[in-house]
Amino acid sequence: MLKSLIYIFCFLFLGELIHYFLDVPIAGNIIGMLLIFLALFFKLIKLKDVKPASDFLVKYLVVFFIPYGVGLMVYANLIAEYWMPVTIVVLLSTLLSLYVTGAVYQKLDKK
Amino acid sequence: MTVFFSLPIFGVTLTLLAYFISGKLKERIGRIFFNRVFVSVVLIIVVLLMLNIDFETYNNGAKYISFFLGPSVVALGVFLYEKLEEVKNDLKVFLIAVFVGGLIGMISVILILILWGTPDIISRSLAAKSVTTPIAIEITKILEGIPEITAGIVIITGILGNAFGSIVLKKLGVKNKKAIGTALGTAAHGIGTAKAFEISISAGTYSGLAMCFNGLITALLAPYILNWLFIYIH
Repeated sequence: MLKSLIYIFCFLFLGELIHYFLDVPIAGNIIGMLLIFLALFFKLIKLKDVKPASDFLVKYLVVFFIPYGVGLMVYANLIAEYWMPVTIVVLLSTLLSLYVTGAVYQKLDKK
Repeated sequence: MTVFFSLPIFGVTLTLLAYFISGKLKERIGRIFFNRVFVSVVLIIVVLLMLNIDFETYNNGAKYISFFLGPSVVALGVFLYEKLEEVKNDLKVFLIAVFVGGLIGMISVILILILWGTPDIISRSLAAKSVTTPIAIEITKILEGIPEITAGIVIITGILGNAFGSIVLKKLGVKNKKAIGTALGTAAHGIGTAKAFEISISAGTYSGLAMCFNGLITALLAPYILNWLFIYIH
């Protein structure tokens, strides 16, 4: 467990380092995600070395963003002011994205 | 009292306790619309309001919980690698569908909000609304939006997709299970994926992968698309 956690933290660190020095508009942890994927893909690291911590983190992923949900209380006024466009946008764009993805997949899959 | 509540142990314990209680409540009520994150957030806000504690004080401890979002996103890379094997045969179709669907989702959000005339801060906060929360929060930080708004809207989007996604898709003629899974993951991230797993294991796997890919695609493209739309439409 500890070894796998160190691996994950090292990749996160590397991602943050790249983000900091290259000044790219991509967050450090997303760079870390790409790097660990590539490292596994090219067999630079073994799956079993990173799996224990990674499974744990993915399992409790939802807990880690609860504080951000609570933070919404600070912006209650802003949301209340623009609830109408926000509601419409969420409904429309979710429906659009859902349908287009499904329809494209189904259409291409038949060929 | 504020000094006491600003001890990190308060925010940490309250968050974990709320999540634990939400699980117990779900066992009792067990409704489809029951979302543990949503319930936990409401429980915590109620406690904070009752004790007259502001968010900053709570976040003194809660920030240690949200710290783990960083490593979790890296862990999604491991998940991606592990599951990729299972879509190998459909990889091309899968990638095209996620790319097109994810892009249209993102562009439609920004476009409608700009045309409606809402402040830029709202579109900056909502551009990543279909993406899994930890990645969406990072995207919003880069776009200089408000991550807390993103988190709230992302969860609502997920609940919507979970509750109505598969019904709507069937009504519109999408019956292929892998297509439904891919669509749920692209449009409604992890919460949609939970629904996809109820349909079938393979639909769930496709959904989880679609969630990861859409997260990556949005993270890579959102800053450019947002600027481009701002420049050409404003």
